[in-house]
Amino acid sequence: MPVTMQRRAFLAGLAAGGSFVLGLTLGADADAASPSLTKVRGGDATPSLFIGITAAGTIELTCHRSEMGQQIWNAIAQILAEELAADWDRIEIIQAEGHPRYGDQNTDGSRSVRNNFHRLRVAGAAMRLMLIRAAAKQWKVGAKGCRAELGEVIHDASGRRLGYGELAAGAAEQPIPSLKQSEAALVPRDQWRYIGAPVPSLTVPKIVRGQGTFGVDVRVPGMLYAVVARPPQVLGRLRSCDDAASKQIPGVVASVELPVLEPPVRFKPLGGVAIVARDTWAAIRGRAALELEWEPGENADYNSKAYAELLFEQVREPGEVRRKRGDVDAALAGAATRITAEYYVPHLAHSVMEPPAATARWSESGDAVECWAAVQSPQSARSAVAASCGLPEDKVTIHVTWLGGGFGRKAKPDFVVEAALVARAVGAPVKLMWTREDELQHGYYHTVSAQRLEGGLDQQGRCVAFLHRTVFPPIGSTFTAGASKPAWGELRLGASDTPFDVPNLQLESGEVPAKVRIGWLRSVANIYHAFAVQSFAAELAAAAGRDQKDYLLELIGPPRTIDPNTEGAEYDNYGSPMSDYPIDAGRLAHVVELAADMAGWGRTLPAGHGLGIAAHRSFVSYVATVIEVAVDDQGTLAIPGVWSVMDAGTVVNVNHAASQLEGGTLFGLSNALYGEITAKDGAIEQDNFPRWRVMRMPEAPRHMEVKIVASNAPPGGVGEPPTPPAAPALANAIFAATGQRIRRLPVFDTSRRDRLAVAGSRHEGDEG
Amino acid sequence: MSVKLRVNGQAHELEVDPETPLLWVLRDHLGLSGTKYGCGVAQCGACTVHVDGAPRRACVAPIGSLAGRQVTTIEGASGPHAEAVRATWEGLDVPQCGYCQAGQVMSAIALLERVPTPSDQDIDHAMSGNICRCATYVRIRRAIHSAAASIGGQAGQAEASEAEEER
Amino acid sequence: MSRATLLALTLALTAGCRESRTVTSPSQEQVLPGERGLRSVADFAGISEERERSLALFGELGQVITHPRCVNCHPAGERPLQGEEGFPHQPLVVRGEDNHGAAAMQCATCHGESNFRSIPGNPDWHLAPAEMAWEGKTLAEICAQIKDPARNGDMSLEQLAEHMAHDDLVAYGWKPPAQLEPAPGNQALFGQLVRAWIASGAHCPES
Repeated sequence: MPVTMQRRAFLAGLAAGGSFVLGLTLGADADAASPSLTKVRGGDATPSLFIGITAAGTIELTCHRSEMGQQIWNAIAQILAEELAADWDRIEIIQAEGHPRYGDQNTDGSRSVRNNFHRLRVAGAAMRLMLIRAAAKQWKVGAKGCRAELGEVIHDASGRRLGYGELAAGAAEQPIPSLKQSEAALVPRDQWRYIGAPVPSLTVPKIVRGQGTFGVDVRVPGMLYAVVARPPQVLGRLRSCDDAASKQIPGVVASVELPVLEPPVRFKPLGGVAIVARDTWAAIRGRAALELEWEPGENADYNSKAYAELLFEQVREPGEVRRKRGDVDAALAGAATRITAEYYVPHLAHSVMEPPAATARWSESGDAVECWAAVQSPQSARSAVAASCGLPEDKVTIHVTWLGGGFGRKAKPDFVVEAALVARAVGAPVKLMWTREDELQHGYYHTVSAQRLEGGLDQQGRCVAFLHRTVFPPIGSTFTAGASKPAWGELRLGASDTPFDVPNLQLESGEVPAKVRIGWLRSVANIYHAFAVQSFAAELAAAAGRDQKDYLLELIGPPRTIDPNTEGAEYDNYGSPMSDYPIDAGRLAHVVELAADMAGWGRTLPAGHGLGIAAHRSFVSYVATVIEVAVDDQGTLAIPGVWSVMDAGTVVNVNHAASQLEGGTLFGLSNALYGEITAKDGAIEQDNFPRWRVMRMPEAPRHMEVKIVASNAPPGGVGEPPTPPAAPALANAIFAATGQRIRRLPVFDTSRRDRLAVAGSRHEGDEG
Repeated sequence: MSVKLRVNGQAHELEVDPETPLLWVLRDHLGLSGTKYGCGVAQCGACTVHVDGAPRRACVAPIGSLAGRQVTTIEGASGPHAEAVRATWEGLDVPQCGYCQAGQVMSAIALLERVPTPSDQDIDHAMSGNICRCATYVRIRRAIHSAAASIGGQAGQAEASEAEEER
Repeated sequence: MSRATLLALTLALTAGCRESRTVTSPSQEQVLPGERGLRSVADFAGISEERERSLALFGELGQVITHPRCVNCHPAGERPLQGEEGFPHQPLVVRGEDNHGAAAMQCATCHGESNFRSIPGNPDWHLAPAEMAWEGKTLAEICAQIKDPARNGDMSLEQLAEHMAHDDLVAYGWKPPAQLEPAPGNQALFGQLVRAWIASGAHCPES
């Protein structure tokens, strides 16, 4: 239970007795002349932030990032345990509450390991040095003759050994080593025991027994249950509410009107009416019985069909130039062959299996609130609750539960604010649940986009001009009312960083208004940018009469690094330095070759089958995916095989990285095959499965092979990079099988027949 | 109205609206939170329990229809099939976020109890009602074959190794 | 005499022999009025030619038989259909060995004893056997099929009438969950039309 875990963590912070708490020695830097552990790359590496050792020898590791299936508990524990020379079986995880002392806790952007790897290693190494020094002091020997192994310090000369539990109190009195000393003590790569190993998951044994606490599972004494009826349109308002019938339902306790949403929408509640009851079912029934009238507001003119036309109109007009190499107009004009293609990717919903849920409990004096919630960004939740409730941030406590899926949805804490407001209104602890209908109809949607690509080929079929124009309502609209211009932070996701070796290249963006809350979803703009760019690469190959894979490698070009900042783009490289994480064409080409080999690229395929390939760098990692499709005479599509390769640099847990590669690829395929959220008069039309459809077991490939490239490069992202190549690899495979080019997602219409719009497999003489 | 039923072997007499779905009785009244809500309309399978040994979606099972029945949840699932499934799920680290996995595990146990060595098609048919947004399907399939082999002796092993070879 | 009439006669005779239970004949009960798109038996009384009347009656039955509430569970393949559009059932479910679903994914996994919210229910919710498929068939084909004991569950015409008029699962067609459109008319009216069709010789359309 997070409740007990948090309480224990809190106690540990103050403990006198059993626990070893380095917080007692904060600031006592042994070597003031060298940089302190508060200034480590990635943030403060003071060991007490992350490591506690009890007198019984239990190693309590604080995980400041949210666990949502990416196995961050393992990753953080493996890194810390490595440097700590800990016994894995003695490790316990404490999930950190939301607090700036931990540094950045926002668990998105595939950066938990990327940004914390070095910092956590330093913290662990510092702690190990302190344990060794404590033992040396006790034995009255030199620290150099002592070493740490599996939770013990050993003096080889005498054969003496002491467990970490026995050393805890003494170690706490040791000064914190300097950064220089700690970095020098890092365990060399060739001696790693835990980092890189497929250490079994810390969460799975609980999961298979129904243990562990997700956001929806929190129970607080005296708790009531709430669901909210929200305006169908964003910025719609409640016109009238009659709750008489609701109040007749046994178990319904109260209705609470939520504040009207004023732009910008940020993480504020959407408004509407909450029904509070003695159990969830009564709340759901009570909500259904509300008589509500809504003022639809300014977004009631949002109709997806008409909006798609607007996007296509925009994308056909020249846009603002955001990256420029050579003279693309002249090169297009002079090209021997000119190819144009337009792509469309609809809104998507996160559809986390655990819909948003939060529990809030106010202090008796009403001046502080404690929340338990499935949040990716507990500090954002803390700020949002404080702002909406008019509290200073230090009066808001956010306990982080397990997340039943995140995918970006749970980085937006509107639901935590709702829980806090409703709990305050009814004067009792409240668990506020979103139903699936709520989750699908009131999300922060993945944006809708249109893109136009124009390519020019010379007489030899080489690409000499590459124009990419992208139009989509930007995420910025969620934070600044009326924002319509794509940010550099969105363009860098697969548009401004296209690594193609073409002499003339240009990126342009257009502007369109947002009519729903736009959010970020696993791999974000990479989804549509990679779909367009990697599909178009295959279209160019087809126009040149070349093999897709060979042509893609030719576009990627020779091994070299690319810096879009030299071509007019503002490119921040996912927040990582270009020096450590350059855009490396060689690594991208390498995963293409590995995936092609693994899939048997070029082999003879059965009739109606086709192979497609796509490769993409995102979150500073490199993924290539090959997909095999089979299309029968009716146009029914099946996916007999998928092969994916990821180079994410140094990987902490190769098995869990492989899980992300499998799941992230299928997440991308699911969205490409079925995913579409549409609005009618500003309201979302999909209310539950299967009108919003996701991949199920029978639709998953029976054959899937993944490979994690062994690499000494610094760690890159793992959770998101697998998703972008899936959709274009699928579209390229469909083209190879049928000659039909999918430029508009999803692949299937709503009839659930899983047939391509144009039936029939490829016949002799067909093009492509 | 009062409803009598047994959950994980324990007798309960509950004063609830008979229309209340079993899911909310388990979660809100009995404190058994292992069974999850995912859709409320029997589309996602996160709430799968066994009623008299057969899988049932708790979100659409009104408690009034369960008088005198035996309900088993993820917390109470036991026996060789349950243990084999848990062991292979752990061995392969099948779950990611884990939220849907109580339902996946309960469906997999029910399948193996009925079909000792399921084919890929048997797995497709039995598991199609359990959505996993993390898309752990490839590992679920592998784990079911592996659990079948661990329980089922030679026939199961032969099939599982075939499945392995295929990979 | 056409082959179809001969067959109908034979069937009628068979039905007569099996008629041991007390069955209300159409003449003895009140003729129900038409309702919601399904006409009354009385509306067909004016057709004097028996075969013509029989065909007209079967055409009327066709409104029910081809309605999605009925066709969806008489699918041509292994998978039931859903909704007014007759989309393939989501999630994937199959008829299995006994039309009650696959192992561990039986109809009763989701469908309870009665409707619940949007989920249809019945104590014996299941698919019609494959030989009774109606999906994609013409009324002529369906007619021949429902009269053929080899393809109608070995029922006499009288048993068929009884089934149509009183079977609890057939009754579902007129009391689906709120979001679904009920079949035209009502079950009793449908039953009267079936009897009237049988009484008029149970003629089948030729195409």
